[in-house]
Amino acid sequence: MDSLDVQALPVGPLSMSTLLSLEPAGLRLVLRAGLRQGIQDGPLRQLIGESLAFPGHEEPTKPILEILEQRGWLVRQGELWKTRLG
Amino acid sequence: MVKILAVHSFRGGTGKSNLSANLAVSLARLGKRVAVVDTDLASPGVHVLFGFAPQAGQSTLNDYLQGPSAIHDCAYEVTPAEVKASHGNVWLVPASMNGDRIARLLREGYQVERLNDALFELSEKLRLDFVLVDTHPGINEETLLSTAIADCLLVVMRPDSQDYLGTAVAIEVAERLDVPSIRMVVNKLPDSFDSEQVREKVARSYEVPIGALLPLSDDLLTLASGGLAVLRFPDHPWSQGVSELAGDLSRSLV
Repeated sequence: MDSLDVQALPVGPLSMSTLLSLEPAGLRLVLRAGLRQGIQDGPLRQLIGESLAFPGHEEPTKPILEILEQRGWLVRQGELWKTRLG
Repeated sequence: MVKILAVHSFRGGTGKSNLSANLAVSLARLGKRVAVVDTDLASPGVHVLFGFAPQAGQSTLNDYLQGPSAIHDCAYEVTPAEVKASHGNVWLVPASMNGDRIARLLREGYQVERLNDALFELSEKLRLDFVLVDTHPGINEETLLSTAIADCLLVVMRPDSQDYLGTAVAIEVAERLDVPSIRMVVNKLPDSFDSEQVREKVARSYEVPIGALLPLSDDLLTLASGGLAVLRFPDHPWSQGVSELAGDLSRSLV
């Protein structure tokens, strides 16, 4: 499973070219899942749990989701999470 | 649920728009409800194949991306008469051919996220089976988005050394974006080329399934984008190749 290095993440709005450049691959997978019509909370948390590890966190899903939400890269719209492109 | 087909090439002149239009009609002949969206905003052209030209007051994709128009007001039914008996439909979302509008779009840009939303809003409104996104050649924000949201990426190339190199980039991008399905389409294959050798070279180069090998055709050149080959020359190997690709996509994606 890929480890997320928060310090290595770019700041600022997410563009498609930024998304393409992101590492690890699991992070791109999560953000891609929020495109199209978005993804429901349960499947998103499951996808994060399956795709990404977060060093120092045994339960990585919640802090990773918080980081992506704080950056404005994932936003909640009703029952769905959507990837927000700047 | 709608399937998004992104029709892309790394270089221009591969016949991408021609393939998009003919593939849309081929899918409609299978009874599918299909929209073609021209996201080649800098050099639009797929409307010509349908004999459609936006008139004054008719909205285009530009009016949705940079204005107040609803996306369904930018879609026009262009179902050919020959297709109606199959109960399929084709809609076209053209891009503006007005030079000032193209310049404004390039100058001011737009929120690329609106393009994502447009495809799914339109799909719901028109109850579409397929959306074909005719992309701009090369890599930019729109093509990356179209690739990322595609259920299947069709990468169109000619058997040309520059195309081989550029196509490798397009495939690499698609793989980084985890596109669920990719098909290679080799177009404009000269008679003098050994099609099996080309097939092997493409397969070896990209390790991606080949959707179609389509011949370079004098008949298509004569048509000069003034019509749809699958209707005008249905028995031509090019048309048959496109029809077979439509059948393959229809079976494997739906």
